[in-house]
Amino acid sequence: MVYFAGIDIGSTAIKIVVIDENEIIKGYKVSGSGSMFYKYAKESFELLLKDIGISSQDVAYITSTGYGRKLFKEADETISEITANAVGARKAGEEFGTIRTIINIGGQDSKAIALDEHGNVVNFAMNDRCAAGTGKFLDVAAAKLEIDVEELGDYHFRSIGTPLSINSTCAVFAESEIIGLLGNEHTKEDIVAGIHFSIAKRIIRLAKRVGLNEVIYFDGGPALNKGLVSAIEDELGRELAIPRYPQITTALGAALLAKEAWEYELKNADAV
Amino acid sequence: MMRKIETNTAVQRKREIEDPQKRHSRHEAMEAVQMLDKLKYDFPHSLESMKYFYDLYERVYCKGEKIHSDKPLVGTLCIQVPYEIIYAMDAVPVRLCNGFHTDEQLGGEFMPTKSCSLVKATLGMLQSRDIPAADKLDIIVHPTTCDQKTKAISIIEDMSYDMYHMEFPRVKESEESREYWRRTVRKFTKDISKELGRKVSRRSLKEAIRKVGRAQMAYHKLNELRRVTPSPILGKDMFLITNAFFFDEIERWTEAVENVYEEVKKRVQSGFNAAGKRSPRILYTGSPPIFPNLKLPVMIEEADGIIVADESCSANRLLNDMVSVDEWFMYDMVDAIADRYLKGCTCPIFTKNEDRKRRLRELIEEYCVDGVVYQSFAGCQVYEMEQRSIMQEMEKINIPMLYVETDYSPGQGGQLSTRVEAFIESLKVRRRKR
Ligand code: SF4
Ligand code: SF4
Repeated sequence: MVYFAGIDIGSTAIKIVVIDENEIIKGYKVSGSGSMFYKYAKESFELLLKDIGISSQDVAYITSTGYGRKLFKEADETISEITANAVGARKAGEEFGTIRTIINIGGQDSKAIALDEHGNVVNFAMNDRCAAGTGKFLDVAAAKLEIDVEELGDYHFRSIGTPLSINSTCAVFAESEIIGLLGNEHTKEDIVAGIHFSIAKRIIRLAKRVGLNEVIYFDGGPALNKGLVSAIEDELGRELAIPRYPQITTALGAALLAKEAWEYELKNADAV
Repeated sequence: MMRKIETNTAVQRKREIEDPQKRHSRHEAMEAVQMLDKLKYDFPHSLESMKYFYDLYERVYCKGEKIHSDKPLVGTLCIQVPYEIIYAMDAVPVRLCNGFHTDEQLGGEFMPTKSCSLVKATLGMLQSRDIPAADKLDIIVHPTTCDQKTKAISIIEDMSYDMYHMEFPRVKESEESREYWRRTVRKFTKDISKELGRKVSRRSLKEAIRKVGRAQMAYHKLNELRRVTPSPILGKDMFLITNAFFFDEIERWTEAVENVYEEVKKRVQSGFNAAGKRSPRILYTGSPPIFPNLKLPVMIEEADGIIVADESCSANRLLNDMVSVDEWFMYDMVDAIADRYLKGCTCPIFTKNEDRKRRLRELIEEYCVDGVVYQSFAGCQVYEMEQRSIMQEMEKINIPMLYVETDYSPGQGGQLSTRVEAFIESLKVRRRKR
């Protein structure tokens, strides 16, 4: 059996997915990217292989993607996260029907991708280089509110007052907005709900630029935050398609592309 | 964090998605809280008696409380609809001029891109059927004042509201227009009472004039206190008070204003200054600031100015003159009411600009104003056009004026506030040189 690996080196986490020839996921791993991308990526890759019991010789092709993709020297190929995200989403969201719009919130940026019915990227939009409305922003906000990021969802659903808008498009200013709200005797619950709704509105505005079509797929780490998911759904007025492991979609896409590239190489080699 | 998984099937969830109506109210509540927060917390020394108003806005705009339930509700599209006659029918007027960005965006679908925020927001509100303070409207009254509102009427009719048109003259000074408007108001009295199935009697009309008169009196007394130097009350509170007149139960409103008056009077006696030591005194005029779009007034006062007088139909003009009746006969009263509305109106929709100029000069003198801030909603032609002539007038009497074009979007903040700050600073410098 041959295997393929996709490795997505993001600003906050490294995600690795290994698939087999039948495109079945053999294993995946998510770990913090820390300060030494290459070292951590290499280490987690080796750990993952050990865990699923395959040797590096069995991995036929590795594709890296994400912000730090160029740093992973073992990769046979690098690919942009837009493409990888699209391919991964198509696979991970198969059971929801044909994915036409992807909303992705990452550690440092957020993006919306429109696909045609064959899964090709036809348009995409990214946020304007600002951390407001990204995973990083949620981290900062949670820290300011002195709660765990994992708890954000619970806080959201416990909000009984009015969610509070955060209008700043800048994470630094948004942080001081949050401090202001805390000072004005608002509950953390209402602030958290407000943060979620503000991010939701912003990401939908972005998505509208590429067009909201049929099935809307949502992934990236923040998709694990049920409060945020619920806020986006409320703003959209419909349910989102969310894969079981939203964090690894892009890495999965990279793995699938690795397999494709390998098959292509094989075919061409035969022809020689 | 390592797990072995067989397939990557996703979880199927089923959940209730918030319905659009609820989402709309939530968006409004979010806007309202933001403004209320500013008004409550961003200024020092808030008045104890203002709590009534803060609570009222919170109840109506954040909690969705409908404060009128048992009486017929008459929506009004402009300040020119005579409240006295509606009260005389034991009905409640609710002014539909709206200040929400949420609604402006909704209403934007019906109007040209560059049109007045207020009209767009009103359309959006009617479209969403989420009308603050009111559950449902029995009828909407529309005086043919500004073009955008007039042309928006057919759109509102398409939303299947019952409408009543009141023909409003565009010339103010002539005897013909006076007679024309009087006829309109008489007809309105008859038609609306038929429509609502309620009678207007001599007694009920007299009582209604009293009721509105009392409200005006209370407001006037409070407003007079703003002439004092230093001014004891900030403009942001005054706007909130007059805006509440749009929808509050009138007697409760009057009482609340009287309470504010008492508290502010005490402040005057102790020489209290609501603003800074050198805060320039500002006259505010132009397109009406309507809650929660009190963006510009708040900016002025955050920049250390103080609004001591205003000339806008969401503030001062609302309660300009009282009805003066010679003889308490039915039609004398109706005519007197008609007169007070036409004469008192200084809306720029009229052919001539003279009366508004006169009014502004008057206010500048009486309230010792240092500078004028003139707002026009982008797309509001009449204010945009009249601005030039007002500017010239101000030059003549040597009063600086800042002209600002705005809409309801929250994004405009930074740039606008810099302009406002610079203007206020320039007024301070000017005063020092004097
Ligand atoms: S400083 Fe603010 S605006 Fe600038 S990149 Fe950072 S978050 Fe964005
Ligand atoms: S600006 Fe003029 S037309 Fe518009 S509501 Fe005010 S008074 Fe009426």
